[in-house]
Amino acid sequence: MSAVIDRSWRDPALLGKALPAVLLQTTCFLAPLLMTIALTFQRTRDFQLSWTWSLHTWTDVFTKAHYWTILGHTLFMATLCVALCLLIAFPVAYALASRLRAFQNHVKVLITFAFLTDATLKTFGWVLFLDKNGAANYLARGLGFEGDAVNILFTDWATMLGMVYNLLAFAIFTIYLSIDEIDRSLVLAAYDAGASKFRAFWEVTLPLARPGIWAGAVLIFLLAVGVFLEPKVLGGGKSPMSAELIRQTFETRVNWPLGAALTMVLMTVAVFVVLLFNRVYSLKRHLGPA
Amino acid sequence: MSTSWYSDLPKYYQRQIAAMGLDDAGMSRRRLLKSAGAAAGVAAMSGLSFGKPAQAATQMSYMCWEGYNDPRIIDPFNAANDTDIAFDLIVDSPGGFAKLQAGASREVDLVSSDMPWITRMGPAGLALELNPDDYADVYATFYDQFKPPFEPLLHDGKTIGVATRWGWVGPCINTDVTDPDEWKSYDPVFDAKNKDKICVMDWGDWPILPMALHAGIDPYQELDAAQLEEIRKVLRAMFKNTRTLVADLTQAQKGLLDGSLLGCIGAGSYLTSAVRFQGHKNIIATVPDPKNGIKQGIIWVEATAILKETDQPELAQKLLKHVVSKDAGHTLSLLETTCNVVTNKAVEELYTDEEKSILQTDYMWHAWDNSQMHRIAPNIDEMLAIWQEELANAG
Repeated sequence: MSAVIDRSWRDPALLGKALPAVLLQTTCFLAPLLMTIALTFQRTRDFQLSWTWSLHTWTDVFTKAHYWTILGHTLFMATLCVALCLLIAFPVAYALASRLRAFQNHVKVLITFAFLTDATLKTFGWVLFLDKNGAANYLARGLGFEGDAVNILFTDWATMLGMVYNLLAFAIFTIYLSIDEIDRSLVLAAYDAGASKFRAFWEVTLPLARPGIWAGAVLIFLLAVGVFLEPKVLGGGKSPMSAELIRQTFETRVNWPLGAALTMVLMTVAVFVVLLFNRVYSLKRHLGPA
Repeated sequence: MSTSWYSDLPKYYQRQIAAMGLDDAGMSRRRLLKSAGAAAGVAAMSGLSFGKPAQAATQMSYMCWEGYNDPRIIDPFNAANDTDIAFDLIVDSPGGFAKLQAGASREVDLVSSDMPWITRMGPAGLALELNPDDYADVYATFYDQFKPPFEPLLHDGKTIGVATRWGWVGPCINTDVTDPDEWKSYDPVFDAKNKDKICVMDWGDWPILPMALHAGIDPYQELDAAQLEEIRKVLRAMFKNTRTLVADLTQAQKGLLDGSLLGCIGAGSYLTSAVRFQGHKNIIATVPDPKNGIKQGIIWVEATAILKETDQPELAQKLLKHVVSKDAGHTLSLLETTCNVVTNKAVEELYTDEEKSILQTDYMWHAWDNSQMHRIAPNIDEMLAIWQEELANAG
């Protein structure tokens, strides 16, 4: 134990062992990040990058409300997506780990196939389904509904549908792994102690599944803040999210400093939100169940 | 028509696949190069001698829009000049320009892109200035409108590139569901009865410029704050009726065909021609009448330039001349993905009546006469910023 405590960063052996990892991180993560930060302090003239140190881009970012409107919209959509994915994924994962044990391998394979299918194909598939002349309205008319009963294409609802559909598998698998690890005897012990099924689920299964729920939530949140296909194809591009704003800024406006600044803002806010969730999660864990 | 593993995908993704070299042609090219490389490697390793080695084909790199890389255009050039051309397909002009700026200019020999971005290569120091006299044979059969000095392709009086393909930007409509006479102005875009029936192309400045013209502002002049504010208002009004913004041609084409979209703004002959090619002659690209003395249509032109850093200036010049030749021009003007008229008048001799109808050749000079020539809009960045702002507020 003391040997571990005595070790410090001044220990040459430890430094030597850590060096490859430090070099890799520096080369692949920190250096590009620093370059991106440096880029935010440059200017563009005639669609060309001009290396003149300036706060112009950051002034632009902090004085134009629409960047923050789009960021707020992105965070809202990502949070809603997390909530919906968890709501849908938990029962599925729970059923897989308990009620559908006999079929779980088949179901997992099916989910994996759907998960591995290219998101572009799946998203355009939804366009065909939700189109005014698509399968959804055809079915609705068959059921006696008149006109365009399904009219959500090119709205935020369609964007959300696409996001949840494309990201759901992440939540199902992380939660499933968590539930699958739960020692069944703990649940049986709760029953022996007189707990109802709901109480056993609420006080044993759910708290023990929390790491999976948390991991799924973080994964989906980080992926959801970066989506651009769903808002563009299913949402009709009228309600852009941050990733599309960044793409437009880099590609259409050829304004790399602004694109880099918006990227930094999105990264910082996303990391901040994750840290905030983490803090809340740690506090809850520390305080324990009420 | 041959099919491939990606032919059912939307055109946008087909272009991406081709751009990544994952299309059939790309894969065969890679396989060929790879196997040739492997064979050479094995031969070198084993010390075998096959006598005098065959002369390797000259490698060239061509950054272009899809279509310019059509084997019917490129294969004859490769055969005649013993070249092997690699393609860097552009999916958007600014992106291509940015890539050149980021260092691709050292690899690429020739670029075919939208004219303003070709012209921008002049001040950016990327393009080789051309001597029009060296291209006299090419210009001899050009439409007069594109013969030198073709002002939009000049920078400081020097020719930056040669115009290749062109068309017009105006409302794209389905004549079965809307009366073309209604579209002699952009008014239907703002009519409340057309709410959720207007499609706007998400193609950078293309939808902004016609709206500026509709507001009575010439976007190709330096604009003041009041004029930019007017553009903001007109964009805001446009978004109120917009059903969708699309970047993918097929989505817009499908909407026009099934009538869910009444009109598409920010595109033109580039969008409608491929549908007309498939027999849907009810889909047309129009140009509104001049309003308050300002022409409402926009002529877009694609041009080809030679990179300053090319190590094959003579071959690059040959390839440029080949791209605008009569036979190559005919192929270029009638592609599956898009059909557009070219700058070489001699190509007209090769068109059938059906092809002329697809290209709306009976309309093209009317469109030309009622259009502005697209070029670098001095305030484009401000206009794009306004676009982003209004789009964010419209959502």
